[in-house]
Amino acid sequence: MGLVESGKLPKPLTSLLNTSRKYSIWIFQWGLACCAIEMGAALGSPRYDVMRLGVIPLPASPRQADLVCISGTVTDKIVPAIRRLYDQMPDPKYVISMGACANCGGPYWDSYSVTKGVDQIIPVDVYVPGCPPRPEALLEGIVLLQERIGKEDMAERWRGEPLVVS
Amino acid sequence: MDAVATDAEREQIVADLRDRLGDALVGFHIRPGDDLWVRVTRDVWQEAGMIARDHLGFRAFEFVSAIDWLPSPFGKGEDSSLDPIPQVAGDIVTGYAGGDTRFQVFARAHSLSQHMGITLKVDLPDDDLSVATWIPVFAGANWHEREAREMFGITFVGHPHPVNIYLPGQFEGHPLRKDFPLLSRHVKPWPGIVDIEPLPGGSSEPSSEEGEA
Amino acid sequence: MTAVSDRQKLAYVNSQAADGRVNLEFETEEGMTLNLGPQHPATHGTLRIVVKLDGEQVLSCEPVMGYMHRGYEKLTEVRTYPQVTTLINRIDWLGSFANEVPFILAAEKLMEIEAPPRAQWIRTILFELSRIANISLFVGDMALHIGAMTAAFYAFRDREFVLNQIESATGGRFHPNFNRIGGLKDDLPKGWVADTKASLERIRDFCDEMEILVEGNEIFQARTRGIGVIPSEIALQFGLSGANLRASGVDWDLRRDQPVGLVWDKVDWKVITHPDGDSFARFWVRLQEIRESCNIVEQLLDGLPAGPYMAKVPRVIKVPEGEAWVATENPLGEMGYYLVSQGGLGPFRVKIRTASFNNVSVVPWVCRGVYVPDVVTILASLYFILGDIDR
Repeated sequence: MGLVESGKLPKPLTSLLNTSRKYSIWIFQWGLACCAIEMGAALGSPRYDVMRLGVIPLPASPRQADLVCISGTVTDKIVPAIRRLYDQMPDPKYVISMGACANCGGPYWDSYSVTKGVDQIIPVDVYVPGCPPRPEALLEGIVLLQERIGKEDMAERWRGEPLVVS
Repeated sequence: MDAVATDAEREQIVADLRDRLGDALVGFHIRPGDDLWVRVTRDVWQEAGMIARDHLGFRAFEFVSAIDWLPSPFGKGEDSSLDPIPQVAGDIVTGYAGGDTRFQVFARAHSLSQHMGITLKVDLPDDDLSVATWIPVFAGANWHEREAREMFGITFVGHPHPVNIYLPGQFEGHPLRKDFPLLSRHVKPWPGIVDIEPLPGGSSEPSSEEGEA
Repeated sequence: MTAVSDRQKLAYVNSQAADGRVNLEFETEEGMTLNLGPQHPATHGTLRIVVKLDGEQVLSCEPVMGYMHRGYEKLTEVRTYPQVTTLINRIDWLGSFANEVPFILAAEKLMEIEAPPRAQWIRTILFELSRIANISLFVGDMALHIGAMTAAFYAFRDREFVLNQIESATGGRFHPNFNRIGGLKDDLPKGWVADTKASLERIRDFCDEMEILVEGNEIFQARTRGIGVIPSEIALQFGLSGANLRASGVDWDLRRDQPVGLVWDKVDWKVITHPDGDSFARFWVRLQEIRESCNIVEQLLDGLPAGPYMAKVPRVIKVPEGEAWVATENPLGEMGYYLVSQGGLGPFRVKIRTASFNNVSVVPWVCRGVYVPDVVTILASLYFILGDIDR
């Protein structure tokens, strides 16, 4: 582990680390609205079965999660809670924004109480469009994230340099 | 429609209410075989609810809410941001059972035995937006009055816990008032604008898929 | 993790302490305050419940809403009628089709348009299918909150069969947006009737399974019987509706008592009531209602009339001046729209009376004096959707 902190991680070790990381993602479900049910169908139902992708739903707390799925309408009142959730997660952490509301406000783009996109408060890695997205769409988002994790350089992330994804 | 709920029954209800309230019943409207609206003065608002509940059989509570009859100074917000904001168009037009003021509180209850509902309305003067609470009549009015309070800025006298129910504490303004602007619409023109504008020489069909992301 | 710096350790301890302070506040005079939510598995979304405790007993409890408040009533004022339908789908997101119907009926009432018979029948069928999809998830969810995980998986599995039917008819799994003023967007696809009947069989099996797995379970009965009793008079006072009201012994169902342009009166079914008013009664009533819905749908499918699915309506929809109130018996209870029109392209004011708002307003009353685990039981059995409370 000291290798990562020193910023000198050999390439083969990086890819080994990344492969093991990307197939053991603990996903925290931050279900807010309609999308939460589709997320539940993706994570909890036998038909879609997210575990075959190496993603483990239902961690006990955000402190044990690698990935949070913000699914549903983000209102101004819930924003502090989401920020706190993100701060509590251990690094490296990833965010999937699921559904039109979390992406940009969606059908509530002109509402007085809805935050126009969760990316205003936390950085988002994958946006899943749809209102609500089908469970398959969420699974695709997770696969895309796994691809991204596979190409990451952990040492760079540790040094705080901007991520370069090819 | 329900065969039991005839016009005569609703007229009887209005007559009963008038017997007990006298001149405090200012207006009413009956849509035969369908619905009933009654407007009372502000002093008897709570009493009217009690009478409806205890003597007329409207025991089941539906809602308490309010309405702002001011024509919206922003139109429907369909104009592009370059256009000047349209000013208040025309006078206040109120609905069934009449009305004299900008704000009206209305409540609804229904009767299980007679299979009909009643909508009670009360006018609030602009300089004193307050009315007696309905909590003694129906305990469920509690949350509805909290909602009407923050959405319209109406004080419900005697409400035990008048705090915001939906909005964060530091929110300014009363969103459901007609003069509360939806700022996003002024920053960005309404994307569905093309569907609502009638085309020259014909009519366009408003698409229902618009507004969805 | 081996090499943890002191700074990291300190940050960790601090964040733990901050977390503890927010979630558990010790107040010496009034007992302890326990905070459920705002994101809690027992709350189907983002409802926060602040509970004051004396030991394990609840002294008082106060729901804090608004985490899902999206401002529907304001947004309807700046939309046209067809656009409003898209929006209000998302109020009760489990029974979306049922949300559209009362609004469309209210607009039709003011425009004095009546949908053709075939549209009315299809509307009723889809209404009941969305009820099945909604309540079957409740059955699994309630069991999940009591501690039985398996039932939730079963519910998600069998619910898909109904969602497939809704999707093949309307094009949307969740938000069909299928109603138009004056009828429906489309006719039913070929072979839909037979497929739906097959999926109803799955749902009937699901009900049987749940009766054995959940309802007959000793632990489930011990956790729900006599918990959260709501007498009928209190239920009416708070404006409870739907299965919550019927579980308190009030024989009231808008489908039978105030039919509004749909065809429930054309078929043979019965209103389910239960005299107890406790959590078990609410579960039982809902489970039986799925069966009744299956019966209704099956009979309607057999008698589906032919003909057009859309009445003649003007191309630009303008609703004449007036006020109308239409309420229907939605999966969660009575949902009504008070529509005020001033003759424009969009509504002047829409008051949306949702079932869950009234249903949850009874929580402070009913939770007084119960134990902490019972709070979860009561919340689960009252069955609310956050979008339906906050709008």
